Amino acid sequence: MSEPILIVGGGPAGLSAAHAAASAGRKVILVEKEDRLGGAPILSGYARLVPSHEWAADAIGAMVKRVVENPNVEVRLNTQVQAFSGEPGAFTATLKDGGNISAASTILTTGFTHFDSVNKPEWGFGTYPDVVTTTQVEQMISSGRGVRCPSDGRKPDRVAILLCVGSRDRQIGREWCSKICCTVSSNLAMEIREELPNSNVYIYYMDIRTFGLYEGEFYWGSQEEYKVKYIKARIAEVTSDGKRLLVKGEDTLVKRPISIPFDMVVHAVGMDPNVDNMTLSSVFGVDLNKYGYIGRANTYTTLCQTSRPGVFVAGAASGPETIDDSIAQGSAAAIAALNFAAGAVSAAAE
Amino acid sequence: MPIHEKSLIRPENLREQENLVIEGMDVSGHWSTFIESRAVTDYNEALQEEIAALPGGENIHRCWQCGSCTNACTVNAVNPEFNPRYWIYLIRLGMEDELLRDKDIIWQCVSCNKCTYACPRDVVPEGVMKATAHWLELKGHTPKSPSMLFDEVFAGQVIKTGRIEDGLVLRDFFKRTGQPLNQPWLVAMVLGLVKRFPLAYLIKLGIATIRPDRTRGWGRARDAINEYAEEVEAQNRKALGLGAKGAK
Repeated sequence: MSEPILIVGGGPAGLSAAHAAASAGRKVILVEKEDRLGGAPILSGYARLVPSHEWAADAIGAMVKRVVENPNVEVRLNTQVQAFSGEPGAFTATLKDGGNISAASTILTTGFTHFDSVNKPEWGFGTYPDVVTTTQVEQMISSGRGVRCPSDGRKPDRVAILLCVGSRDRQIGREWCSKICCTVSSNLAMEIREELPNSNVYIYYMDIRTFGLYEGEFYWGSQEEYKVKYIKARIAEVTSDGKRLLVKGEDTLVKRPISIPFDMVVHAVGMDPNVDNMTLSSVFGVDLNKYGYIGRANTYTTLCQTSRPGVFVAGAASGPETIDDSIAQGSAAAIAALNFAAGAVSAAAE
Repeated sequence: MPIHEKSLIRPENLREQENLVIEGMDVSGHWSTFIESRAVTDYNEALQEEIAALPGGENIHRCWQCGSCTNACTVNAVNPEFNPRYWIYLIRLGMEDELLRDKDIIWQCVSCNKCTYACPRDVVPEGVMKATAHWLELKGHTPKSPSMLFDEVFAGQVIKTGRIEDGLVLRDFFKRTGQPLNQPWLVAMVLGLVKRFPLAYLIKLGIATIRPDRTRGWGRARDAINEYAEEVEAQNRKALGLGAKGAK
């Protein structure tokens, strides 16, 4: 049979692609730079996932197990692809820890990087300990410690979740919508209300994008069952009155300034292009799109094609993506890579 | 810098010192004008639940602020200050002070229910307006309106006797609204009746005025209605955190 398929990145998209290609009988080599598989949901300690409410450790853990136990998959942890050369059907990848891999084709499932809230200093992250990110709240829940103010460990009475932190913001060169934060925030708001029934959770938004079927369960469910309040305001700054956090902005629906105390402020951080994308772009010879994600050659004929034939991309590496869509794209990329490799072999035989 | 949103400055927030001298500089009158902050500084988290607990307000939580109700509103067409969408927002967020500013407009809803049919979320804004007016009254923010007093007199008599004696309703209503009985139109009407009515009817009318008729066997119905009314009243008061005063 032909050379294996190289998959770079062991998150949901990579795990899905590895499973799909290996199940089709193909050898797969899965390279992951961290010390374990699972990607952002595992590495960042997500709690319950949208839309299934399964714990990330269970849901993604099952995907990891399935891949690790597949004899067609060879997992290489703690390493990165340093150099990549050759032609479609006969690529050679050089790993950082030495050694070469021959591959017929490659799928990049290198994911994203969480926006670093320090880049929006007016919203208090890094200045006030009780200003946290959605990722931190996920960790508070998944660790079983519960949602507590980091400053003194108290249960917050009043929580503000600020949407679009690191998204839709020309000031910091991020014009995209990160797609998942609205739904994740409404999900977190419900979890906070469930754990702390006496708390009040407010979500400050510009637009709400709980797209598709999330409208019912997450947007309205959070309001109707969990009494989460949505306020149309982009917060101008988060300060402190010495005791509690002071959130300032304008309630645009009533044209009134806001200056309200909160115990905890949560940044719904967006999805940045992976910080390694420049390196990935030069190593693999693929173009990035204007936002810095790995670019797609076309949308309809071959969904996962990059600018370089034989190199495919899936999941959040090519733009903000949900976990379930990343998984779907992983499978699509695997099919594309399998077909491509088969085509290359038959072309060589002729 | 010029002030672009003058409409947002409220007269009661303007502060001026009549006589003020700072470091030898006379800044009396409008030279010392400054505007107090109108920032929202707190939410009343119970407000939405209180309105939702009153009849008509049950679906307020569904509102997504599309403005269909205000757009369809009969009263809004006449008075642009009448804005159900805006009040629903204030209630949902608990901006009580802001809501109270409009307490003298909110009850003007004519219950045409155009909003009810326009609303894509089945909020039933007409019901919310009714509940809000009721809330304002229970909380003591607005006095009872004349129509409310009339309803009370009317219903009170029905509940008490099982019947309506027009003359008595009128007298009680005038008494409660502080109006004199000696009103020209009323005098003219009574005189007309006396002149034209057959004597037998007049005698019956006179007796009924002094000793109103009662529906026979009404006692049990009265007790049941009173019991129910008290129950509802007590429920409403409890939902609003008011003492159990009972129905009057």
